[in-house]
Amino acid sequence: MKFKNVFSVVFLFISAKILPQNISSDSLGLNLKEVIISATRTPRELSSLPLPVTLVDQEIISSSGVVRLDEILIEQTGVNIVADESGFEGIQMQGISSDYILILIDGVPLIGRKAGNFDLSRMAIGNIKQIEIVKGPSSSLFGSEALGGVINIITEEPKTKKLNGNFSYRFGSFNQQDINTNIKQNSGKFKFNFFFNRLSSDGYQVDSESDPRTFYPFKNYTLHGKISNDFSKKLTGLFSFRFYDNEQLSMLILNEEDFEGETQENDMNIHLKFDQNVSKKFNIDYELYFTSYNADELIQSLLTENILNDNFFNQKLLRPEIRGNLKLKSKSNFSGGIGYQYEELSRTFFDDNINFSSQYFFIQGDFYLADKLNLIAGSRFDNHSEYKSQLSPKLAFYYKANKSLALKASVGFGFKSPAFRQLYFNFTNSSVGYTVLGYNVALDKLDELIYQNQIQDVVIPRNELINSLDAESSIGYNLGISIDEPKWKLDLNFFRNDIKNLIDTRIIARKNNGQNVFSYVNFDQIFTTGLELNFNHRITEKLNINGGYQLLYAFDKVKIQQINSGEIYARETTSNKTVELSNKDYFGLVNRSRHLGNLKFFYSFTKSKLKVNLRFIYRSKYAEFDTNGNGLVDSYDTSFINGYLTTNISAIKDLSKKIDFQLGLSNNLIDYTDANTPKIPGALGFLKLTYKT
Amino acid sequence: MKTINKILNISFTILLLSFISCSNDEEEEQEMVVLEPLKSEQITNFAAPQTGGMGEPIGGEFSKFDFENGAKTSSETDWDIAFRGTTICINGGVSTGTADEPTRNGNAGAVIVSGTFDSVITAEGLTFLQDAEGSFAIPTGSDNGWYNYNRQTFTISPIPGKVLVFRTRDGRYAKVEILSYYLDQDSSNTRGGRHYTFNYVFNPNEGETSLQ
Repeated sequence: MKFKNVFSVVFLFISAKILPQNISSDSLGLNLKEVIISATRTPRELSSLPLPVTLVDQEIISSSGVVRLDEILIEQTGVNIVADESGFEGIQMQGISSDYILILIDGVPLIGRKAGNFDLSRMAIGNIKQIEIVKGPSSSLFGSEALGGVINIITEEPKTKKLNGNFSYRFGSFNQQDINTNIKQNSGKFKFNFFFNRLSSDGYQVDSESDPRTFYPFKNYTLHGKISNDFSKKLTGLFSFRFYDNEQLSMLILNEEDFEGETQENDMNIHLKFDQNVSKKFNIDYELYFTSYNADELIQSLLTENILNDNFFNQKLLRPEIRGNLKLKSKSNFSGGIGYQYEELSRTFFDDNINFSSQYFFIQGDFYLADKLNLIAGSRFDNHSEYKSQLSPKLAFYYKANKSLALKASVGFGFKSPAFRQLYFNFTNSSVGYTVLGYNVALDKLDELIYQNQIQDVVIPRNELINSLDAESSIGYNLGISIDEPKWKLDLNFFRNDIKNLIDTRIIARKNNGQNVFSYVNFDQIFTTGLELNFNHRITEKLNINGGYQLLYAFDKVKIQQINSGEIYARETTSNKTVELSNKDYFGLVNRSRHLGNLKFFYSFTKSKLKVNLRFIYRSKYAEFDTNGNGLVDSYDTSFINGYLTTNISAIKDLSKKIDFQLGLSNNLIDYTDANTPKIPGALGFLKLTYKT
Repeated sequence: MKTINKILNISFTILLLSFISCSNDEEEEQEMVVLEPLKSEQITNFAAPQTGGMGEPIGGEFSKFDFENGAKTSSETDWDIAFRGTTICINGGVSTGTADEPTRNGNAGAVIVSGTFDSVITAEGLTFLQDAEGSFAIPTGSDNGWYNYNRQTFTISPIPGKVLVFRTRDGRYAKVEILSYYLDQDSSNTRGGRHYTFNYVFNPNEGETSLQ
C-alpha cells in the first residue's frame, strides 16, 4: 500500500502525503519496490508486472555521468542505437527499429522524427526521475508507434518543502560543455520545478571533414517547467511546459566546392492535466497536450552562395484525452480512456500542408484472480482519417510460483500508422533522376508525369494505388521467468514479434531517363525473435554487479521464401562467381547484431565517499546494407561492421554535503576507432562539478 | 503418251537425283561440320560512356559489341549488343526512341534468366524479346533488369544470378554475366563507372542453342 500512496502524490496528485525520502536514493538495492507507470498507465509495482519492463533510475543516470538520453539507453540490455539507411540514428529494441518505438515524456508523446528515427540526443536527462522501457507491443494503451515498445521519460517531482535545487557544470572532450540547473519546491499544495540545460560541443571528425560520421559543432537549450496545485482534496492541476532549441553547423565538400550550412530545430511541449478524485475508488484525469517540432536546414556554397539544401519540417500535434481509473477489490483495478488526436505537417517535398485526425478509446482490466495470479487484459480502438481503423488487444499473465520465482507471459497487438512521408512525399532526386511519391498522391503525380511525357511505362495496375494503405501491424509474444533472491535477481525473457504489412518502396513506373518512380506499398513481413537475460548481484554492501544479454534473430519472411525456392544468388567475393544463396548465408535484417551485452560494476568506498563504476557495452557484428545487389544481407556482402566493445568508467566523490565531483572516461576507454564504426570518436573524458542545496 | 512417259521419267530421275544429292549434302554436313567449339571469354573494362545524366538529357553513341569477334566494333551492321551507361540495346527490333541509338538491322533478341552462369546451359525454349518503341529488351532501371542501384553507396551492382541470354543478329546464341560496372571491378571508385566487365559464352554455330 505504501508505494501506491507514493504514486498518488507523484503522478496522480490524489493526496498530499509526503514522499518517503529514500524512495529513489538506493536504487541498487534489490528489494526496493520500484514503481512503473508506463506498462499499464497506472502506477504498478515493477516486480509484479507481467510484461518485460526495464527501469533506469536517477541514481544510475547520475552515476554514469552521461548527458543525453541516447547515451544512457544504449547501456541498457537489449537496447541499441543505430543509424539506418537514411543516416539518422534511432533506438532499436527486440530488433525493432525506432519508427516503431513510441517515445513519451511524462506519458505524452514526443514528435519530430527524421525518416522515422527519433533523435534521443534531443533529450537532456538532468531532470529525469526515471526512464521506463516497456518492450513488446503496447498499442493496447498507446496506439500507433507503440508496436515495438514504449520509452517513457518520467521527470522529477519536487519532494521537500524547502526551496532547493542543484547546479552542475560538466566539461568534456571536444569542448563539450553541459550546464544543468534545477530549482524546485514542494510546499504541500503548490509544487513547482524548473529545469534548464545548455549543451554545446565543437564536434569531432572521425576521418576527414567530408566524412559522414563527422559530428558538427552544436549548441542547444532545454527549458522545462512544471507547476502543480491541489485546488481541493479532490482536484489537482498540473501545467508543464518544455522548450528545446538546437543549432548545428555543417560543412561539406562536394565536387571540390566548399559548402556550409546550419540546421535549426526546436520543439515545444505544453501539457495541462487535471486529476479529479470522484470518490476514494474512482478518479478521472483530464489532459490536454500540444507539441510542435520544427526543423530548418540551409546549406550553401561558400563561393557562389548556391543553395545545396533548403529544407524545412514543421509538425504539430494536439491531443485531448480523458482517462478514468476504478479501484476494485484487492489490488485489482479497471481503467479506460478516450481521446482525439490532431496532427499536422508541412515540409519540403510536400505539395500541401497535411493533417491527420484520429479518435480512440481504450479499456484495461488489471485483475488479481488469486493472490499469486495476476491478469491484465486490455484493448484499444483507433479510428483514423487516413487508413483502416485498428483494434489492438493485449493479454498478460503473471504467476508467482513461490517466494522468489515468478512466471510472466503476454501477447499483444501493435500497429504503426503510415508516416506522413509515406503518403504525401513528392520527391525527385536531382542528380540521379528517380522519383519517390507518397501513396496517397502517387496516382495524381503519376498522371502529371505521364502528361509531361516523362513516363515510359507504368509497371503496376493502377487499381493497386486506389485502396488506402494499411497500418503496419504486429503480434508480439513474451514469455519470461524471474528469480528474485535477497542478494541477486535474474530475469529471462523470450520474445517473438511477427510484423506484417511493413511499408516499403516499390517501383510503380519507369521514366524515360531510365530511372524509376517509386511509391510505398504494404509488402514486407518480418520477424524478430530471441531472448533477453538480465541479472543483478549485490556481492557485498559495497559492490554491485549487473549485466545483460540479448540474442536476436531478425529476418524478412519473404526473403527466406525466395532463398528456399532458389531465387536469390550472391557473388563470391574473390572469384566473382555467382552462387545460389542458402538460408545459412542469410545474415538477417540490416543493423541488427546477433548479440548485445553489457556488464557493469558499481563500487562504493563508504569512508572516502567515493563511488566508482565500470561499464562494458558490447555489440556484435552487423551489416549496414546489401552490397552485392541481391536485396538482402548475406555472408558475401562487404558492409559488415565488426563487433565492438565500449568501456566507460566514472567516479563520483562527495567533496562536501553540497558539492560533489565526478570524472569519467566515456564511450571508449581504449581509444578504439574503426573507420566503419559510426559515432565512436575515440576516448572521451569529462569532469563534472555539482552543487546541491 | 510416250513423250509424257519420257518427261515423267526424266523428272522422276531429276527428282531422284536431287534427293540423292540432298541426302549427300546432309551426310556431308553431318560428317564434315564438326561444330565449332563454344567461345568462353571475359571482357574487361568495356567502356560505355554517355553524355548528360545528373538530370540532363542522356545521349552519346552506344559502344557496340560483336560476339563473333569478341570485341568492340564500330561497324554499323555487324554488332549484336551495345552499351551506354547502364542501358543495353540489341541489334534487333525497332528504335526505342532513345537519343543517339544505333540503327538496328539484325534479328537479335534478349532475355534475362535467373541462375548461376554455369546453370544456363541452353537457349532452347526461351522467349526472346526485342527492343521496341519505348522499351528495351533488357529493361532499364534499378532492380528491373541487370543491376541494382544502391542509394547508400551510390553504386551500381549487377544483380547476382541474372544471366543475359542473347540471340545474335544472325541467329547464334550467347549468354552474358555482367560482373562489374566499374573500372578494374573497383566499385569503391564510382568515377570509374560505365566500364563493364563481363563473362560470355558464345556458340558460333548458327541455330545451335547449346551454351555449354
